[in-house]
Amino acid sequence: MEYKAPVEAHTGVVREETIGTGEKALKLGGENILPFHFFDEGSLPNAPTFALEILDMEPTDWPDDLLEPFKNVISDPVKWAKKCEEFGADAVSICLLSTDPAGENRSPDEAAALVKKVADSINIPVLVYGSGDDKKDAEVLPKVAEACDGKNLLIGPVLKENYEVVGRAILEHGHKAWAESPLDINLLKELNVKLCHFLPPERIVIDPESTAIGYGFEYSFTLMERVKQLGVIIKDSMTQMPMIANLGKEVWKTKQAKENKKQGLLFEAMTALGLLLAGANILVLRHPESINLLKETIGGEIWQK
Amino acid sequence: MVVIGENIHVIAKVVNDAIKARDAKVIQDLAKVQAEGGADYIDLNLGFCRKDPTVMGWAANMVQEVVDLPLSIDTMNPLAMEEGLKVCKKKPLLNSASGKADSKEQMLPLAKKYNCDVVISVINDKGMPAEGDSKLDSIMDTVAYANDLGIPNENIWADPIVLPVSTAGEGQKNALATYEFIEMVPEALPGLKSTVGLSNISNGAPMELRPLLNHVYLIMLARKGLYSSIHDALDKEIMDISKDRKQKLVDLVYRTWDGEEIDPSSLSQEEINYVKTTKVLTGEVLYSDAWLEG
Repeated sequence: MEYKAPVEAHTGVVREETIGTGEKALKLGGENILPFHFFDEGSLPNAPTFALEILDMEPTDWPDDLLEPFKNVISDPVKWAKKCEEFGADAVSICLLSTDPAGENRSPDEAAALVKKVADSINIPVLVYGSGDDKKDAEVLPKVAEACDGKNLLIGPVLKENYEVVGRAILEHGHKAWAESPLDINLLKELNVKLCHFLPPERIVIDPESTAIGYGFEYSFTLMERVKQLGVIIKDSMTQMPMIANLGKEVWKTKQAKENKKQGLLFEAMTALGLLLAGANILVLRHPESINLLKETIGGEIWQK
Repeated sequence: MVVIGENIHVIAKVVNDAIKARDAKVIQDLAKVQAEGGADYIDLNLGFCRKDPTVMGWAANMVQEVVDLPLSIDTMNPLAMEEGLKVCKKKPLLNSASGKADSKEQMLPLAKKYNCDVVISVINDKGMPAEGDSKLDSIMDTVAYANDLGIPNENIWADPIVLPVSTAGEGQKNALATYEFIEMVPEALPGLKSTVGLSNISNGAPMELRPLLNHVYLIMLARKGLYSSIHDALDKEIMDISKDRKQKLVDLVYRTWDGEEIDPSSLSQEEINYVKTTKVLTGEVLYSDAWLEG
Protein backbone atom coordinates (compact mmCIF):
# COMPACT_ATOMS: atom_id res chain seq x y z
CA MET A 1 0.00 0.00 0.00
CA GLU A 2 1.30 3.41 -0.89
CA TYR A 3 1.80 5.84 1.96
CA LYS A 4 0.16 9.19 1.56
CA ALA A 5 1.27 11.89 3.95
CA PRO A 6 -1.67 13.74 5.51
CA VAL A 7 -2.11 17.33 4.39
CA GLU A 8 -3.83 19.82 6.65
CA ALA A 9 -5.64 22.95 5.56
CA HIS A 10 -6.59 25.66 8.05
CA THR A 11 -8.93 28.57 7.57
CA GLY A 12 -7.46 31.00 10.12
CA VAL A 13 -5.10 33.63 8.78
CA VAL A 14 -2.58 35.67 10.76
CA ARG A 15 -3.12 39.34 10.00
CA GLU A 16 -0.63 40.81 7.56
CA GLU A 17 0.91 43.96 8.97
CA THR A 18 3.43 46.49 7.71
CA ILE A 19 6.08 48.22 9.81
CA GLY A 20 7.85 51.30 8.45
CA THR A 21 7.31 53.07 5.14
CA GLY A 22 8.79 53.05 1.67
CA GLU A 23 10.79 50.39 -0.09
CA LYS A 24 12.29 48.85 3.03
CA ALA A 25 9.01 48.57 4.92
CA LEU A 26 8.56 45.15 6.51
CA LYS A 27 5.60 42.88 6.07
CA LEU A 28 4.80 40.53 8.91
CA GLY A 29 2.39 37.62 9.15
CA GLY A 30 -0.24 36.72 6.58
CA GLU A 31 0.23 32.95 6.98
CA ASN A 32 -2.47 30.29 7.26
CA ILE A 33 -0.08 27.43 7.99
CA LEU A 34 1.74 26.57 11.18
CA PRO A 35 5.46 27.48 11.40
CA PHE A 36 7.57 25.51 8.92
CA HIS A 37 4.55 23.42 7.86
CA PHE A 38 5.32 23.96 4.20
CA PHE A 39 3.89 20.52 3.43
CA ASP A 40 0.39 21.67 4.41
CA GLU A 41 -2.08 23.49 2.24
CA GLY A 42 -1.83 27.26 2.54
CA SER A 43 0.92 29.81 2.45
CA LEU A 44 3.36 31.91 4.36
CA PRO A 45 3.68 35.01 2.22
CA ASN A 46 6.21 36.78 4.44
CA ALA A 47 9.38 35.10 5.68
CA PRO A 48 10.38 35.90 9.28
CA THR A 49 12.45 39.02 9.69
CA PHE A 50 15.36 39.96 11.94
CA ALA A 51 15.94 43.21 13.78
CA LEU A 52 19.14 44.21 15.55
CA GLU A 53 18.84 45.91 18.90
CA ILE A 54 20.64 49.11 19.86
CA LEU A 55 20.53 51.14 23.08
CA ASP A 56 20.11 54.87 23.47
CA MET A 57 23.13 54.93 25.77
CA GLU A 58 26.43 53.13 25.97
CA PRO A 59 25.89 49.57 27.20
CA THR A 60 27.38 48.82 30.59
CA ASP A 61 26.93 45.07 30.83
CA TRP A 62 27.55 43.82 27.28
CA PRO A 63 30.41 41.33 26.88
CA ASP A 64 33.32 42.28 24.62
CA ASP A 65 32.30 39.76 21.98
CA LEU A 66 28.99 41.52 21.61
CA LEU A 67 30.51 45.02 21.55
CA GLU A 68 33.14 44.06 18.99
CA PRO A 69 31.06 44.48 15.77
CA PHE A 70 29.99 47.96 16.96
CA LYS A 71 33.18 49.08 18.65
CA ASN A 72 33.41 52.56 17.11
CA VAL A 73 29.74 53.38 17.22
CA ILE A 74 28.28 52.35 20.58
CA SER A 75 28.41 55.85 21.99
CA ASP A 76 26.36 57.19 19.07
CA PRO A 77 22.96 55.55 18.50
CA VAL A 78 22.60 57.06 15.03
CA LYS A 79 25.90 55.61 13.82
CA TRP A 80 25.08 52.37 15.60
CA ALA A 81 21.76 52.11 13.77
CA LYS A 82 23.50 52.75 10.44
CA LYS A 83 25.97 50.01 11.23
CA CYS A 84 23.05 47.61 11.81
CA GLU A 85 21.67 48.54 8.41
CA GLU A 86 25.09 47.81 6.85
CA PHE A 87 25.08 44.41 8.53
CA GLY A 88 21.87 43.60 6.67
CA ALA A 89 19.36 43.81 9.51
CA ASP A 90 15.71 44.06 8.41
CA ALA A 91 15.00 46.62 11.14
CA VAL A 92 16.58 48.38 14.10
CA SER A 93 15.06 48.07 17.54
CA ILE A 94 16.05 50.94 19.80
CA CYS A 95 15.74 50.38 23.52
CA LEU A 96 15.22 53.60 25.47
CA LEU A 97 17.09 52.36 28.51
CA SER A 98 18.35 55.83 29.45
CA THR A 99 14.81 56.98 30.25
CA ASP A 100 14.57 54.51 33.14
CA PRO A 101 13.78 56.50 36.30
CA ALA A 102 15.96 54.08 38.27
CA GLY A 103 18.89 54.92 35.96
CA GLU A 104 19.71 58.05 34.00
CA ASN A 105 16.08 59.15 33.89
CA ARG A 106 16.40 61.10 30.63
CA SER A 107 13.38 63.13 29.56
CA PRO A 108 10.64 62.06 27.13
CA ASP A 109 11.57 64.93 24.81
CA GLU A 110 15.20 63.85 24.60
CA ALA A 111 14.14 60.29 23.83
CA ALA A 112 11.66 61.41 21.18
CA ALA A 113 14.25 63.60 19.46
CA LEU A 114 16.76 60.75 19.40
CA VAL A 115 14.32 58.21 17.96
CA LYS A 116 13.36 60.67 15.24
CA LYS A 117 17.01 61.26 14.39
CA VAL A 118 17.66 57.53 14.19
CA ALA A 119 14.56 56.91 12.07
CA ASP A 120 15.51 59.76 9.71
CA SER A 121 19.02 58.49 9.17
CA ILE A 122 18.32 54.88 8.12
CA ASN A 123 16.10 53.34 5.44
CA ILE A 124 15.02 50.24 7.36
CA PRO A 125 12.10 50.41 9.83
CA VAL A 126 12.54 51.29 13.49
CA LEU A 127 11.09 49.48 16.46
CA VAL A 128 10.98 51.36 19.75
CA TYR A 129 11.11 49.71 23.14
CA GLY A 130 10.79 51.82 26.29
CA SER A 131 12.56 51.34 29.59
CA GLY A 132 9.88 48.92 30.76
CA ASP A 133 8.87 51.23 33.61
CA ASP A 134 5.16 51.42 32.83
CA LYS A 135 4.64 54.91 34.26
CA LYS A 136 7.67 56.47 32.59
CA ASP A 137 6.88 54.70 29.31
CA ALA A 138 3.41 56.24 29.45
CA GLU A 139 5.17 59.62 29.22
CA VAL A 140 8.00 58.70 26.86
CA LEU A 141 6.27 56.55 24.24
CA PRO A 142 3.48 59.04 23.36
CA LYS A 143 6.19 61.70 22.82
CA VAL A 144 8.07 59.33 20.53
CA ALA A 145 4.85 58.55 18.64
CA GLU A 146 4.19 62.24 18.15
CA ALA A 147 7.73 63.13 17.06
CA CYS A 148 7.71 60.31 14.51
CA ASP A 149 4.19 60.96 13.24
CA GLY A 150 3.36 58.86 10.19
CA LYS A 151 6.55 56.78 10.24
CA ASN A 152 4.63 53.62 11.12
CA LEU A 153 7.01 52.46 13.85
CA LEU A 154 6.39 49.51 16.11
CA ILE A 155 6.19 51.02 19.60
CA GLY A 156 6.10 49.35 22.98
CA PRO A 157 6.01 47.75 25.37
CA VAL A 158 2.27 48.45 25.48
CA LEU A 159 1.31 46.93 28.82
CA LYS A 160 -1.87 46.22 30.75
CA GLU A 161 -0.90 49.14 33.00
CA ASN A 162 -0.49 51.79 30.30
CA TYR A 163 -2.24 50.53 27.17
CA GLU A 164 -4.80 53.34 27.07
CA VAL A 165 -2.42 56.27 26.91
CA VAL A 166 0.29 54.58 24.86
CA GLY A 167 -2.21 52.85 22.56
CA ARG A 168 -4.07 56.07 21.80
CA ALA A 169 -0.85 57.88 20.86
CA ILE A 170 0.04 54.97 18.57
CA LEU A 171 -3.41 55.20 16.97
CA GLU A 172 -3.29 58.94 16.53
CA HIS A 173 0.18 59.12 14.99
CA GLY A 174 0.02 56.18 12.64
CA HIS A 175 2.12 53.51 14.35
CA LYS A 176 1.81 49.88 15.43
CA ALA A 177 1.47 48.62 19.00
CA TRP A 178 4.05 46.24 20.48
CA ALA A 179 1.70 44.60 22.99
CA GLU A 180 3.50 42.75 25.74
CA SER A 181 2.11 40.54 28.50
CA PRO A 182 3.91 38.36 31.05
CA LEU A 183 3.98 34.81 29.66
CA ASP A 184 0.28 34.10 30.07
CA ILE A 185 -2.17 33.26 27.31
CA ASN A 186 -5.18 34.65 29.17
CA LEU A 187 -3.52 37.97 29.97
CA LEU A 188 -2.25 38.21 26.41
CA LYS A 189 -5.75 37.86 25.05
CA GLU A 190 -7.19 40.29 27.58
CA LEU A 191 -4.72 43.00 26.57
CA ASN A 192 -5.62 42.56 22.91
CA VAL A 193 -9.34 42.67 23.64
CA LYS A 194 -8.88 45.91 25.57
CA LEU A 195 -6.64 47.50 22.95
CA CYS A 196 -9.15 46.59 20.26
CA HIS A 197 -11.77 48.78 21.91
CA PHE A 198 -10.06 51.67 20.15
CA LEU A 199 -7.17 50.30 18.08
CA PRO A 200 -7.76 48.14 14.97
CA PRO A 201 -6.44 44.60 15.54
CA GLU A 202 -4.25 44.85 12.43
CA ARG A 203 -2.19 47.42 14.27
CA ILE A 204 -1.13 45.11 17.08
CA VAL A 205 1.93 42.84 17.24
CA ILE A 206 1.96 40.32 20.09
CA ASP A 207 4.97 39.97 22.40
CA PRO A 208 4.29 36.98 24.66
CA GLU A 209 7.70 37.51 26.32
CA SER A 210 10.71 35.54 25.22
CA THR A 211 13.15 33.68 27.41
CA ALA A 212 16.57 32.20 26.66
CA ILE A 213 17.22 28.48 26.41
CA GLY A 214 17.72 27.14 29.90
CA TYR A 215 15.89 30.07 31.47
CA GLY A 216 12.27 29.00 31.11
CA PHE A 217 12.42 28.70 27.34
CA GLU A 218 9.75 25.97 27.36
CA TYR A 219 7.21 28.51 28.62
CA SER A 220 7.89 30.91 25.77
CA PHE A 221 7.89 28.13 23.24
CA THR A 222 4.61 26.52 24.25
CA LEU A 223 2.94 29.89 24.64
CA MET A 224 3.93 31.12 21.16
CA GLU A 225 2.95 27.77 19.71
CA ARG A 226 -0.43 28.03 21.37
CA VAL A 227 -1.02 31.59 20.16
CA LYS A 228 -0.27 30.52 16.59
CA GLN A 229 -2.45 27.43 16.81
CA LEU A 230 -5.35 29.38 18.26
CA GLY A 231 -5.06 31.89 15.44
CA VAL A 232 -4.58 29.51 12.53
CA ILE A 233 -6.60 26.46 13.60
CA ILE A 234 -9.21 27.76 16.06
CA LYS A 235 -9.48 31.21 14.43
CA ASP A 236 -9.49 33.14 17.70
CA SER A 237 -9.48 36.67 16.32
CA MET A 238 -7.62 38.05 19.34
CA THR A 239 -4.58 35.85 18.73
CA GLN A 240 -4.39 36.30 14.96
CA MET A 241 -1.65 38.94 15.12
CA PRO A 242 2.00 38.51 14.12
CA MET A 243 4.35 37.81 17.02
CA ILE A 244 7.61 39.42 18.01
CA ALA A 245 10.37 37.62 19.92
CA ASN A 246 12.53 40.12 21.81
CA LEU A 247 15.19 37.63 22.76
CA GLY A 248 18.59 39.32 22.38
CA LYS A 249 18.36 41.07 25.71
CA GLU A 250 17.39 37.80 27.44
CA VAL A 251 20.18 35.79 25.87
CA TRP A 252 23.05 38.20 26.39
CA LYS A 253 22.45 38.67 30.10
CA THR A 254 23.14 34.99 30.78
CA LYS A 255 26.54 33.91 31.97
CA GLN A 256 26.63 31.20 29.28
CA ALA A 257 26.33 33.74 26.45
CA LYS A 258 28.92 36.00 28.04
CA GLU A 259 31.46 33.21 28.45
CA ASN A 260 32.87 33.16 24.91
CA LYS A 261 31.92 34.28 21.43
CA LYS A 262 31.05 30.95 19.88
CA GLN A 263 28.85 30.02 22.79
CA GLY A 264 27.16 33.43 22.78
CA LEU A 265 26.34 33.26 19.09
CA LEU A 266 25.05 29.72 19.34
CA PHE A 267 22.98 30.64 22.38
CA GLU A 268 21.35 33.54 20.59
CA ALA A 269 20.83 31.73 17.29
CA MET A 270 19.48 28.57 18.89
CA THR A 271 17.05 30.48 21.07
CA ALA A 272 15.90 32.37 17.99
CA LEU A 273 15.54 29.17 15.98
CA GLY A 274 13.38 27.68 18.70
CA LEU A 275 11.12 30.70 18.74
CA LEU A 276 10.90 30.65 14.94
CA LEU A 277 9.68 27.07 15.17
CA ALA A 278 7.14 28.18 17.75
CA GLY A 279 5.80 30.86 15.41
CA ALA A 280 7.66 34.17 15.86
CA ASN A 281 7.30 36.50 12.85
CA ILE A 282 9.96 39.04 13.78
CA LEU A 283 12.93 38.51 16.07
CA VAL A 284 15.07 41.05 17.87
CA LEU A 285 18.70 39.98 18.27
CA ARG A 286 21.89 41.70 19.31
CA HIS A 287 24.74 40.14 17.34
CA PRO A 288 24.83 40.44 13.53
CA GLU A 289 26.61 37.11 13.19
CA SER A 290 23.72 35.34 14.92
CA ILE A 291 21.48 36.51 12.11
CA ASN A 292 23.83 35.07 9.51
CA LEU A 293 23.99 31.82 11.39
CA LEU A 294 20.20 31.66 11.51
CA LYS A 295 19.70 32.47 7.86
CA GLU A 296 22.21 29.78 6.97
CA THR A 297 20.34 27.29 9.13
CA ILE A 298 16.81 27.87 7.90
CA GLY A 299 17.78 28.52 4.26
CA GLY A 300 16.07 30.86 1.88
CA GLU A 301 14.21 28.87 -0.73
CA ILE A 302 11.60 27.26 1.56
CA TRP A 303 10.22 30.66 2.41
CA GLN A 304 9.14 31.36 -1.14
CA LYS A 305 5.99 29.30 -0.79
CA MET B 1 -29.84 19.61 42.99
CA VAL B 2 -28.79 19.28 46.59
CA VAL B 3 -27.33 22.58 47.77
CA ILE B 4 -24.75 22.75 50.55
CA GLY B 5 -24.78 26.34 51.78
CA GLU B 6 -21.19 27.61 52.09
CA ASN B 7 -21.83 30.81 54.00
CA ILE B 8 -20.56 29.75 57.42
CA HIS B 9 -16.93 29.88 56.45
CA VAL B 10 -14.03 30.92 58.63
CA ILE B 11 -12.56 32.97 55.80
CA ALA B 12 -15.33 35.52 56.41
CA LYS B 13 -14.20 37.88 59.16
CA VAL B 14 -17.60 38.03 60.83
CA VAL B 15 -17.63 34.22 61.11
CA ASN B 16 -14.07 34.08 62.34
CA ASP B 17 -14.80 36.67 65.04
CA ALA B 18 -18.00 34.90 66.08
CA ILE B 19 -16.21 31.59 66.48
CA LYS B 20 -13.46 33.13 68.57
CA ALA B 21 -16.00 34.86 70.81
CA ARG B 22 -18.35 31.84 70.74
CA ASP B 23 -21.06 34.23 69.61
CA ALA B 24 -23.86 31.82 68.68
CA LYS B 25 -26.21 34.43 67.25
CA VAL B 26 -24.06 35.27 64.21
CA ILE B 27 -23.73 31.59 63.31
CA GLN B 28 -27.39 30.89 63.92
CA ASP B 29 -28.54 33.86 61.84
CA LEU B 30 -26.35 32.73 58.96
CA ALA B 31 -27.80 29.25 59.20
CA LYS B 32 -31.36 30.56 59.23
CA VAL B 33 -31.01 32.78 56.17
CA GLN B 34 -29.42 29.93 54.24
CA ALA B 35 -32.27 27.63 55.17
CA GLU B 36 -34.73 30.28 54.02
CA GLY B 37 -32.74 30.64 50.81
CA GLY B 38 -33.30 26.97 50.07
CA ALA B 39 -30.10 25.27 51.24
CA ASP B 40 -30.39 21.52 51.85
CA TYR B 41 -27.28 21.26 54.03
CA ILE B 42 -25.47 23.82 56.17
CA ASP B 43 -21.71 23.64 55.75
CA LEU B 44 -19.61 24.42 58.82
CA ASN B 45 -16.15 25.37 57.65
CA LEU B 46 -14.33 26.41 60.81
CA GLY B 47 -10.82 25.89 59.51
CA PHE B 48 -8.43 23.46 61.18
CA CYS B 49 -9.63 24.24 64.75
CA ARG B 50 -6.10 23.61 65.97
CA LYS B 51 -6.50 25.34 69.33
CA ASP B 52 -9.82 23.80 70.25
CA PRO B 53 -11.38 21.02 68.19
CA THR B 54 -14.51 21.07 70.39
CA VAL B 55 -15.59 24.32 68.77
CA MET B 56 -17.01 22.22 65.94
CA GLY B 57 -19.35 20.43 68.33
CA TRP B 58 -20.42 23.74 69.80
CA ALA B 59 -21.15 25.25 66.36
CA ALA B 60 -23.06 22.16 65.23
CA ASN B 61 -25.25 22.28 68.33
CA MET B 62 -25.91 25.99 67.93
CA VAL B 63 -26.99 25.57 64.31
CA GLN B 64 -29.18 22.58 65.13
CA GLU B 65 -31.02 24.70 67.69
CA VAL B 66 -32.39 26.93 64.94
CA VAL B 67 -32.58 24.92 61.71
CA ASP B 68 -33.80 21.46 60.92
CA LEU B 69 -31.26 20.69 58.21
CA PRO B 70 -28.42 18.16 58.08
CA LEU B 71 -24.90 19.53 58.49
CA SER B 72 -21.76 19.30 56.41
CA ILE B 73 -18.82 19.18 58.80
CA ASP B 74 -15.99 20.84 56.93
CA THR B 75 -12.48 20.64 58.40
CA MET B 76 -9.16 18.97 57.69
CA ASN B 77 -8.70 18.17 61.39
CA PRO B 78 -9.93 14.63 62.25
CA LEU B 79 -10.40 15.59 65.91
CA ALA B 80 -12.65 18.52 65.06
CA MET B 81 -14.40 16.36 62.48
CA GLU B 82 -15.35 13.81 65.13
CA GLU B 83 -16.45 16.52 67.56
CA GLY B 84 -18.87 17.69 64.90
CA LEU B 85 -20.09 14.34 63.65
CA LYS B 86 -20.87 12.98 67.10
CA VAL B 87 -23.43 15.65 67.95
CA CYS B 88 -25.29 15.67 64.61
CA LYS B 89 -28.97 14.81 64.85
CA LYS B 90 -29.48 14.16 61.15
CA LYS B 91 -27.19 12.06 58.97
CA PRO B 92 -24.31 14.47 58.36
CA LEU B 93 -21.86 14.89 55.51
CA LEU B 94 -18.16 14.46 56.28
CA ASN B 95 -16.48 17.16 54.19
CA SER B 96 -14.03 15.96 53.13
CA ALA B 97 -11.78 12.95 52.63
CA SER B 98 -9.43 12.19 49.75
CA GLY B 99 -7.18 9.47 48.39
CA LYS B 100 -4.21 10.74 50.40
CA ALA B 101 -2.86 8.22 52.88
CA ASP B 102 -3.53 10.26 56.01
CA SER B 103 -7.06 11.05 54.90
CA LYS B 104 -7.78 7.38 54.19
CA GLU B 105 -6.44 6.42 57.61
CA GLN B 106 -8.02 9.19 59.68
CA MET B 107 -11.13 10.47 57.90
CA LEU B 108 -12.67 7.41 56.24
CA PRO B 109 -12.89 5.40 59.49
CA LEU B 110 -14.95 8.28 60.94
CA ALA B 111 -17.38 8.00 58.02
CA LYS B 112 -17.79 4.34 58.89
CA LYS B 113 -18.04 4.91 62.64
CA TYR B 114 -20.82 7.49 62.33
CA ASN B 115 -22.41 5.89 59.26
CA CYS B 116 -22.55 9.29 57.61
CA ASP B 117 -22.22 10.52 54.06
CA VAL B 118 -18.72 11.46 52.97
CA VAL B 119 -17.24 13.69 50.29
CA ILE B 120 -14.19 12.04 48.71
CA SER B 121 -12.09 14.12 46.35
CA VAL B 122 -9.95 12.82 43.50
CA ILE B 123 -6.80 14.17 45.13
CA ASN B 124 -4.31 11.46 46.06
CA ASP B 125 -0.70 11.24 47.19
CA LYS B 126 0.46 12.03 43.67
CA GLY B 127 -1.52 15.27 43.52
CA MET B 128 -4.53 16.32 41.48
CA PRO B 129 -5.26 14.14 38.43
CA ALA B 130 -5.81 16.41 35.43
CA GLU B 131 -7.82 14.31 32.98
CA GLY B 132 -11.33 12.90 33.30
CA ASP B 133 -9.96 9.35 33.11
CA SER B 134 -7.27 9.84 35.71
CA LYS B 135 -9.71 11.56 38.05
CA LEU B 136 -11.96 8.51 37.73
CA ASP B 137 -9.07 6.09 38.30
CA SER B 138 -8.15 7.93 41.47
CA ILE B 139 -11.66 7.96 42.90
CA MET B 140 -12.13 4.26 42.07
CA ASP B 141 -9.07 3.40 44.14
CA THR B 142 -10.26 5.40 47.12
CA VAL B 143 -13.83 4.13 46.85
CA ALA B 144 -12.52 0.53 46.83
CA TYR B 145 -10.64 1.34 50.04
CA ALA B 146 -13.77 2.86 51.57
CA ASN B 147 -15.89 -0.13 50.54
CA ASP B 148 -13.42 -2.40 52.32
CA LEU B 149 -13.96 -0.36 55.47
CA GLY B 150 -17.67 -0.98 55.09
CA ILE B 151 -18.72 2.36 53.57
CA PRO B 152 -21.29 1.73 50.81
CA ASN B 153 -21.23 3.63 47.50
CA GLU B 154 -24.53 5.26 48.44
CA ASN B 155 -22.79 7.19 51.22
CA ILE B 156 -20.03 8.55 48.98
CA TRP B 157 -20.09 11.92 47.18
CA ALA B 158 -17.24 12.20 44.68
CA ASP B 159 -15.56 15.58 44.20
CA PRO B 160 -13.58 16.03 40.95
CA ILE B 161 -12.04 19.33 42.25
CA VAL B 162 -12.94 22.49 40.38
CA LEU B 163 -10.04 24.80 39.46
CA PRO B 164 -10.18 28.48 38.49
CA VAL B 165 -10.96 28.82 34.79
CA SER B 166 -8.57 31.79 34.73
CA THR B 167 -5.52 29.60 35.48
CA ALA B 168 -3.42 29.98 32.33
CA GLY B 169 -4.41 27.20 29.97
CA GLU B 170 -5.08 24.57 32.63
CA GLY B 171 -8.31 26.00 34.04
CA GLN B 172 -10.33 25.48 30.90
CA LYS B 173 -8.93 21.98 30.42
CA ASN B 174 -9.89 21.06 33.96
CA ALA B 175 -13.42 22.34 33.39
CA LEU B 176 -13.78 19.91 30.51
CA ALA B 177 -12.26 17.04 32.51
CA THR B 178 -14.83 17.70 35.23
CA TYR B 179 -17.78 17.28 32.84
CA GLU B 180 -16.30 13.99 31.68
CA PHE B 181 -15.79 12.80 35.22
CA ILE B 182 -19.32 13.56 36.34
CA GLU B 183 -20.72 11.84 33.30
CA MET B 184 -18.65 8.70 33.85
CA VAL B 185 -19.23 8.26 37.60
CA PRO B 186 -22.69 6.58 37.59
CA GLU B 187 -21.63 3.83 35.22
CA ALA B 188 -18.22 3.21 36.79
CA LEU B 189 -19.41 3.36 40.39
CA PRO B 190 -23.15 2.72 40.67
CA GLY B 191 -24.79 4.44 43.62
CA LEU B 192 -22.07 7.08 43.99
CA LYS B 193 -23.13 10.73 44.12
CA SER B 194 -21.14 13.76 43.00
CA THR B 195 -20.47 17.21 44.40
CA VAL B 196 -18.27 20.24 43.65
CA GLY B 197 -16.95 23.33 45.38
CA LEU B 198 -18.51 25.48 42.70
CA SER B 199 -17.19 28.97 43.28
CA ASN B 200 -13.57 27.96 42.76
CA ILE B 201 -14.32 28.10 39.03
CA SER B 202 -14.42 31.90 39.24
CA ASN B 203 -11.55 32.40 41.66
CA GLY B 204 -9.23 35.07 40.26
CA ALA B 205 -11.83 36.41 37.81
CA PRO B 206 -13.03 40.04 38.16
CA MET B 207 -15.19 40.19 41.30
CA GLU B 208 -18.31 41.54 39.60
CA LEU B 209 -18.21 38.78 36.99
CA ARG B 210 -17.72 35.85 39.34
CA PRO B 211 -21.44 35.05 39.82
CA LEU B 212 -21.92 34.72 36.06
CA LEU B 213 -19.20 32.07 35.79
CA ASN B 214 -20.64 30.24 38.80
CA HIS B 215 -24.16 30.27 37.34
CA VAL B 216 -23.28 29.03 33.90
CA TYR B 217 -20.88 26.41 35.21
CA LEU B 218 -23.54 25.03 37.53
CA ILE B 219 -25.99 24.71 34.64
CA MET B 220 -23.38 22.83 32.64
CA LEU B 221 -22.40 20.50 35.47
CA ALA B 222 -26.06 19.82 36.22
CA ARG B 223 -26.59 18.77 32.62
CA LYS B 224 -23.90 16.14 33.11
CA GLY B 225 -25.73 14.82 36.15
CA LEU B 226 -24.12 16.63 39.10
CA TYR B 227 -25.91 15.62 42.30
CA SER B 228 -24.86 18.41 44.63
CA SER B 229 -22.98 21.67 44.84
CA ILE B 230 -21.41 23.68 47.63
CA HIS B 231 -22.12 27.34 46.98
CA ASP B 232 -23.51 30.65 48.17
CA ALA B 233 -27.03 29.94 49.43
CA LEU B 234 -27.75 33.67 49.62
CA ASP B 235 -27.28 34.19 45.86
CA LYS B 236 -30.89 34.10 44.71
CA GLU B 237 -30.04 33.52 41.09
CA ILE B 238 -27.87 30.50 41.75
CA MET B 239 -30.49 29.06 44.08
CA ASP B 240 -33.06 29.47 41.28
CA ILE B 241 -30.73 27.59 38.96
CA SER B 242 -30.12 24.87 41.57
CA LYS B 243 -33.84 24.39 42.02
CA ASP B 244 -34.72 24.36 38.30
CA ARG B 245 -36.40 27.76 38.19
CA LYS B 246 -34.37 29.23 35.28
CA GLN B 247 -35.42 27.04 32.39
CA LYS B 248 -35.00 29.71 29.73
CA LEU B 249 -31.36 30.40 30.59
CA VAL B 250 -30.69 26.70 30.96
CA ASP B 251 -32.02 26.08 27.43
CA LEU B 252 -29.85 28.88 26.10
CA VAL B 253 -26.72 27.39 27.66
CA TYR B 254 -27.59 23.93 26.29
CA ARG B 255 -28.15 25.27 22.76
CA THR B 256 -24.86 27.18 22.84
CA TRP B 257 -23.06 24.12 24.13
CA ASP B 258 -24.57 22.02 21.33
CA GLY B 259 -22.99 24.37 18.80
CA GLU B 260 -26.07 26.28 17.69
CA GLU B 261 -25.27 29.74 16.29
CA ILE B 262 -27.69 32.00 18.11
CA ASP B 263 -28.48 35.40 16.63
CA PRO B 264 -27.37 37.88 19.32
CA SER B 265 -29.90 40.48 18.17
CA SER B 266 -32.65 38.23 19.52
CA LEU B 267 -31.08 38.18 22.99
CA SER B 268 -31.04 40.42 26.04
CA GLN B 269 -27.70 41.58 27.47
CA GLU B 270 -27.96 38.97 30.21
CA GLU B 271 -28.57 36.24 27.66
CA ILE B 272 -25.63 37.40 25.53
CA ASN B 273 -23.43 37.18 28.61
CA TYR B 274 -24.65 33.65 29.25
CA VAL B 275 -23.82 32.64 25.69
CA LYS B 276 -20.31 34.14 25.87
CA THR B 277 -19.64 32.53 29.23
CA THR B 278 -20.84 29.14 27.98
CA LYS B 279 -18.36 29.34 25.11
CA VAL B 280 -15.54 29.95 27.59
CA LEU B 281 -16.62 27.05 29.79
CA THR B 282 -16.89 24.64 26.87
CA GLY B 283 -13.32 25.57 25.90
CA GLU B 284 -14.50 26.93 22.55
CA VAL B 285 -13.21 30.43 23.30
CA LEU B 286 -9.95 31.14 25.09
CA TYR B 287 -10.53 32.66 28.53
CA SER B 288 -9.44 36.17 29.38
CA ASP B 289 -10.72 38.49 32.10
CA ALA B 290 -12.34 40.48 29.28
CA TRP B 291 -14.35 37.52 27.94
CA LEU B 292 -17.60 39.50 27.82
CA GLU B 293 -16.03 42.32 25.82
CA GLY B 294 -15.29 42.32 22.13
